[in-house]
Amino acid sequence: MFKKFSFEDISAQNQVKASVQRRIRQSIADEYPGLEPLLDDLLPKKSPMIVVKCQNHLNLVVVNNVPLFFNIRDGPYMPTLRLLHQYPDIMKKFQVDRGAIKFVLSGANIMCPGLTSPGGVLDNEVEEETPVAIMAEGKQHALAIGYTKMSAKDIKTINKGIGVDNMHYLNDGLWKMERLE
Amino acid sequence: MAAEKPAPVRVLYCGVCGLPAEYCEFGHDFERCKPWLRAHAPGVYPEDLLASSSSGGVAGDKDVDKVGERLQGVGISAADGPSSAGDASGSKQGEVKRLPGGKIKKKDKQEVVIEKIVRNKRKCVTVVKGLELFGVKLSDASKKLGKKFATGASVVKGPTEKEQIDVQGDISYDIVEFITDTWPDVPESAIFFIEDGRKVAAS
Repeated sequence: MFKKFSFEDISAQNQVKASVQRRIRQSIADEYPGLEPLLDDLLPKKSPMIVVKCQNHLNLVVVNNVPLFFNIRDGPYMPTLRLLHQYPDIMKKFQVDRGAIKFVLSGANIMCPGLTSPGGVLDNEVEEETPVAIMAEGKQHALAIGYTKMSAKDIKTINKGIGVDNMHYLNDGLWKMERLE
Repeated sequence: MAAEKPAPVRVLYCGVCGLPAEYCEFGHDFERCKPWLRAHAPGVYPEDLLASSSSGGVAGDKDVDKVGERLQGVGISAADGPSSAGDASGSKQGEVKRLPGGKIKKKDKQEVVIEKIVRNKRKCVTVVKGLELFGVKLSDASKKLGKKFATGASVVKGPTEKEQIDVQGDISYDIVEFITDTWPDVPESAIFFIEDGRKVAAS
């Protein structure tokens, strides 16, 4: 989804008011309970939070010129991969097998067989329309962040089609933007 | 739930491709990563995988040659890596600067792009982008263009800091010659027309 994302796709940057900042903090706290004690460090109440609006209804939450979360069209907020690498346990994880890695790294969505084959791990509790971290077989760090299209149980039973949408992956446009000028 | 703060994990990102060290094999150029990996992240890849400069990865031809030369010398010093990597990338004209860590840098491809936009059915506007990359002052350029072609010309701001010159009318043909005459720094080969894909100006 961030395949071609560059500085020029940004249409507006606004510092948000405190009420909006509180709302964003609250929805992030709800989505990622593991992040609660850290929220004060990552999204301090006092420091200016900037929301960057980009094409395709994409919003980036930026603090101190570092993008931390993003969301599409008021969907759930998802952390950037850089943030996820620092705190890997905040999200549920799916693992894809080795053969899928190179496709995911060029932005492909994750098909069910990649998760159900040996080498793939599914976390059974995951429902559809949830953000998940995608790990790779044999690697320690997250490969991508996805949004499930089917629940884990469906993926196992139906085993066809797109299981998880690939929202943000290593070395995509958003990864390359460590800081915004 | 847990009241203690999870501590942030410090991830080692490869200096060459910007990915976490274990993903270098899927990066742009594994061959360049190998000496970096040897120096900074031993143990991520087994030695025999690093030592063989075979075409397992995505190495380009000239990189494989350079890597062969480099690997002949024992001892991977950090000084060696960047300098020969610098050669390999410097030789390609107009290649995107790839900074270690994958930071984005404004793509400085030195080229002038000429585009024709239809304004009414008969009238169009020729847009010239990229002159400033050759050290040309856009306000002077637009004045000269307007005078030469006896039409209106103005400097327009694009969606971001990029600026372009709009010249009324269709002057795409003559403009190539004019640019190369007035500003000898601009080679004909660096001018491109937009025609569903770029075409080199020299024709």
